[in-house]
Amino acid sequence: MKPFSIAFIVLTLGLLAFSTYQALFVAPTEQTMGEVQRIFYYHVPSAWVAGVCFFVNFLASIAYIVKRNEKADALAAASAEVGVVFCTIVLLTGPIWARPVWGIWWTWDARLTTTLVLWLIYVSYLIVRRFAAGSQTQILAAVIGIFGFVDVPIVYMSIRWFRTQHPSPVMAGGENSGLDPAMLHVFFWNLLAFTCVGIIFIGLRYRLQTMEDTLEAEHAQLALEGGSQ
Amino acid sequence: MSGVFALKAAYAVTWIVQLLYLRYLLTRFRRVRREINDLKRHS
Repeated sequence: MKPFSIAFIVLTLGLLAFSTYQALFVAPTEQTMGEVQRIFYYHVPSAWVAGVCFFVNFLASIAYIVKRNEKADALAAASAEVGVVFCTIVLLTGPIWARPVWGIWWTWDARLTTTLVLWLIYVSYLIVRRFAAGSQTQILAAVIGIFGFVDVPIVYMSIRWFRTQHPSPVMAGGENSGLDPAMLHVFFWNLLAFTCVGIIFIGLRYRLQTMEDTLEAEHAQLALEGGSQ
Repeated sequence: MSGVFALKAAYAVTWIVQLLYLRYLLTRFRRVRREINDLKRHS
């Protein structure tokens, strides 16, 4: 592993510890919800990282369709998988927050439903990559990645377009939205920390994908050589 | 479920999911490296 990568991982671990400390002990307690509101500092950054990962998958899928570039395909695979991991965190921490605040774990409102659909789309993407056989698998996955991304802006806009049980947007949500400055800087520290974790995961997963592709190519080469003898 | 318990549960779930994913990646890395070494030895 390169020294830069090690330094980045160490920096990220420090950032995670600092941002978690800020979220738990420094950020003021919200008056209506109390301590449970602090879930926000993990829940929203996870949603942000998932959205960014799916956007990277979208761009990489287009690049693969246009140029048939194997590196773009590897990046698409890596970003989709990491996106699913963070989307899973969103879908788990959301109901844990909802139970004490709403009194229910889940409701089929627009934000929750579109997020679940988003998770299902990218789980399908990963299943196709894993189990579909034949030379068209990568193209098929890229097409799912491109069309699947349509759900990301729908998830983002769902609380603006529809009347939902989910809280109204905190950022860019109009006149009555916004965060206390003391909460805002804690939120940004967590956003930065989670983004760094996302970058590390994508980097590792991308490296793994390229190694697996190399291994597969060498196996194919060996099989060809064996067959020709 | 109290607010404090929910908070602890949500943070724990986040860490567990991330650590499980990291473990999954490292396991796959080990397996691919072993396969590459086996391939080099046989060829």
